[in-house]
Amino acid sequence: MRGFLISRLIQLVVTMFIVSVVVFLILRLSGDPVMVVAPDFFSQEQIDQMRKFWGFDRPLGEQYITFITKAISGDFGTSYLKKLPAMEVVLNRLGNTWILAAASAAIGITVAVPLGVLSALKRNSLLDLIITSMSSLGTAMPSFWLGLMLIIIFSVHLRILPAFGAHEPKALIMPSITLGVGMAARLSRMTRSAMLEVLNQDYVRTAHSKGLMHNTVVMRHALRNALIPIVTVFGLQLGWLLGGSVVVESVFSWPGLGRLMIESISVRDNTVVQAGLLWIALSFILINYAIDVIYIILDPRIKFQ
Amino acid sequence: MKTARLLVLLSLIAMIGALAFAPAAAQDDMSEFVFAHSGPIRPMDPHSHWYGSTHHLLNLYYDCLIWRAADGSGYVPQAAHSWETVDDTTWRFHLREGATFHNGEPVDAAAVKWNIDRVRHPIGDIPLYQQWAFVKEVVVVDDLTVDIHTNSPHAYFENDVSYNGCELIPPAYFEEVGQEEFNRNPVGSGPYVLAELSENDRYVFEAWDDYHSGRPEVDRVIYQVIPEPSAQVAALLAGQIDMMKGVPAPDRPTIEATDGLTLLTESGNRMYHYYARVDTESGAFPETFPDYQPATLDINVRKAITHALDRHLLAEVHGSASARLARVCSYYPEGMADKYADPDVIAEWYNPDLAKEYLAKAGFAEGEGPTLYLDTPVVGRGGSAKEVAEVAAALLEDVGFTVDLTVRDASAFAVEVQRSGNNRELMLAALGCGPALLPLFYNCDWSAVAYSICDEDWDAVAEAIQVTIDRDARLDLWEQWWEYYIDLTQTITLFEITDVFALNTAEFDFTPRKDGWMTFRDLKLAGM
Repeated sequence: MRGFLISRLIQLVVTMFIVSVVVFLILRLSGDPVMVVAPDFFSQEQIDQMRKFWGFDRPLGEQYITFITKAISGDFGTSYLKKLPAMEVVLNRLGNTWILAAASAAIGITVAVPLGVLSALKRNSLLDLIITSMSSLGTAMPSFWLGLMLIIIFSVHLRILPAFGAHEPKALIMPSITLGVGMAARLSRMTRSAMLEVLNQDYVRTAHSKGLMHNTVVMRHALRNALIPIVTVFGLQLGWLLGGSVVVESVFSWPGLGRLMIESISVRDNTVVQAGLLWIALSFILINYAIDVIYIILDPRIKFQ
Repeated sequence: MKTARLLVLLSLIAMIGALAFAPAAAQDDMSEFVFAHSGPIRPMDPHSHWYGSTHHLLNLYYDCLIWRAADGSGYVPQAAHSWETVDDTTWRFHLREGATFHNGEPVDAAAVKWNIDRVRHPIGDIPLYQQWAFVKEVVVVDDLTVDIHTNSPHAYFENDVSYNGCELIPPAYFEEVGQEEFNRNPVGSGPYVLAELSENDRYVFEAWDDYHSGRPEVDRVIYQVIPEPSAQVAALLAGQIDMMKGVPAPDRPTIEATDGLTLLTESGNRMYHYYARVDTESGAFPETFPDYQPATLDINVRKAITHALDRHLLAEVHGSASARLARVCSYYPEGMADKYADPDVIAEWYNPDLAKEYLAKAGFAEGEGPTLYLDTPVVGRGGSAKEVAEVAAALLEDVGFTVDLTVRDASAFAVEVQRSGNNRELMLAALGCGPALLPLFYNCDWSAVAYSICDEDWDAVAEAIQVTIDRDARLDLWEQWWEYYIDLTQTITLFEITDVFALNTAEFDFTPRKDGWMTFRDLKLAGM
């Protein structure tokens, strides 16, 4: 266990270092933030003065060392445009992103797993056809379209849900359904195929022949063993949600990390982009590690190594 | 079975947790007006940026000394109850007795001096000082009287002291907490206090009982950032916002047909122009295109372009605009607005035969005009610049030009072309038209950073305009100035944008301001 944690910690440090270098270089090469922030009547001298103020006049290597040294202690610099610490700007949005991700993931998993199991158990039946068709529809349906349809129905016509923002609990319902539907569709397909594979295994037949109850066989022997690919896909989906969903956040004006990233990239607010991208990378890595741990819990044959 | 139960339990906990931690909306009997702001909204420190749409919102929260009248008729008092000229270079402001900031700090002459001194000096990355360079000194006469001395007689003094950066902040509080904390917890002296601030998302202002000119009529004004126009329309139709700006053309009939909603129009005080490159030295151009000689260096080519463009057609393509020949917005009528906005004059200006004659003068045979590289962003303010550029390209090709049109995303256009000076023959610019800054833009001193044009005779007229206080004499000078503008044809003006608003007139009464600012000090309840 200790060896596992140490090796994962080393991997985390190396990955974050690589991500920080890549993010830093890409942002520096993508354009000059001073050209976006400075008024168009600024002289070259004034632009140079601004560049100096923010340290862009120094060699790239020196800029990176300053950045990474401060970043280690949590200081990602000040947002050029918001005049607030970049990490504070990111953390202000992170809560909303987590809330949305949690709600969407909850919808996704509670809908997907039962439907996927049912679909596998009733293979080639009418119910299976309905579930797989719905799943295909959910996968194919663009989230912005579904979001707009929900707004038109529940906000414009029925007037029961807010069309925007995160200022009241009800505002969470439509964006989380929009994201959750896509997630449920993908997960239910995965659950169905994983279950079908497991249901044909000898140990399932053996469990049945031992006289165990059908539900016990399905839930304890089949589903548990089918969960590994489901958990893998769920982890990837959750990582994607924690990075913020730009489209859904824009449609519902949800103040999350995805929208912040897009706004910040478009105006070259590099300090915020750096802090945000490193958070997203860290979220992905930590989720992957959590998934590794869940694998071991689900299947004791997998060892910590 | 245990696993399934665990999954369901975890899911329920996540859902309940998510709903529990989401903040609750305020529910009360206060009148509440919600404006959909397209965002982004910049910091609350009003001196730290020049983003107009944020200053609109800040105007609810901060007082300036004086302010531009909503109908464009002049200036109205705010922190100063009156003002006068002492001599050609001295303006005296009389402050209100007993006026305070929201935290109780006095709005006195020392506070005014501190604020203007802060904004006019290049401290840190505060970018507004250029706009305040006309101020020589601020002198405290007594607690309630302050003099502003200018470097020279300043024709647009009142305009400039009521523009970006004019907002007063409490010196003692700011010095105590610093800029970052001030941005988190700002303090102003305007008619509204800040009840809730979710950065670049939601700004809730509530009427201040102690405002020196009386409590505003509407209890609560909310600026809600909704970036997508379609989402703004949906929220409006759902009755969840009360006003939006920039109603998309396809949605206008639906809004017009909805009870309680009304479409309003007002000049946007923004104009579309094509900048023609008239030099090869400015910006990044010499490095990017070292041996390139833009066709627009020849004034005959520029004149051919201006006569090849049918401005009425381009305004129609835009969908919400009025053709113009010069950079004269409706709000600032100085500078021959009547002449250069006259539809008949503009219609006559479009003359393809004359354009061909100018091309011949430039040495091009008929149908064999030069190639024009035309850069444009995908979407401009209030409409599509791309469609306008495509029609402009067709019109230019009709008279013999070959047009190479490049359309970029707005931010890529700003960084790669506009701000870096990588434009070749023509580049679209959507900009304002304030008379205080216009002469500066075309000044020889600014030629390297602005429009690369330098004509010393034109400069002399511009300098005279800025120091001529007498309006009639100044208008004579403007007449000369615009002749240079038209004759030199560096900026080829196309049209002025008209803003289209949707308002919940069942509950609110509001006339859009002439200066295009979306600020709601004058907002009233319907039928009151």
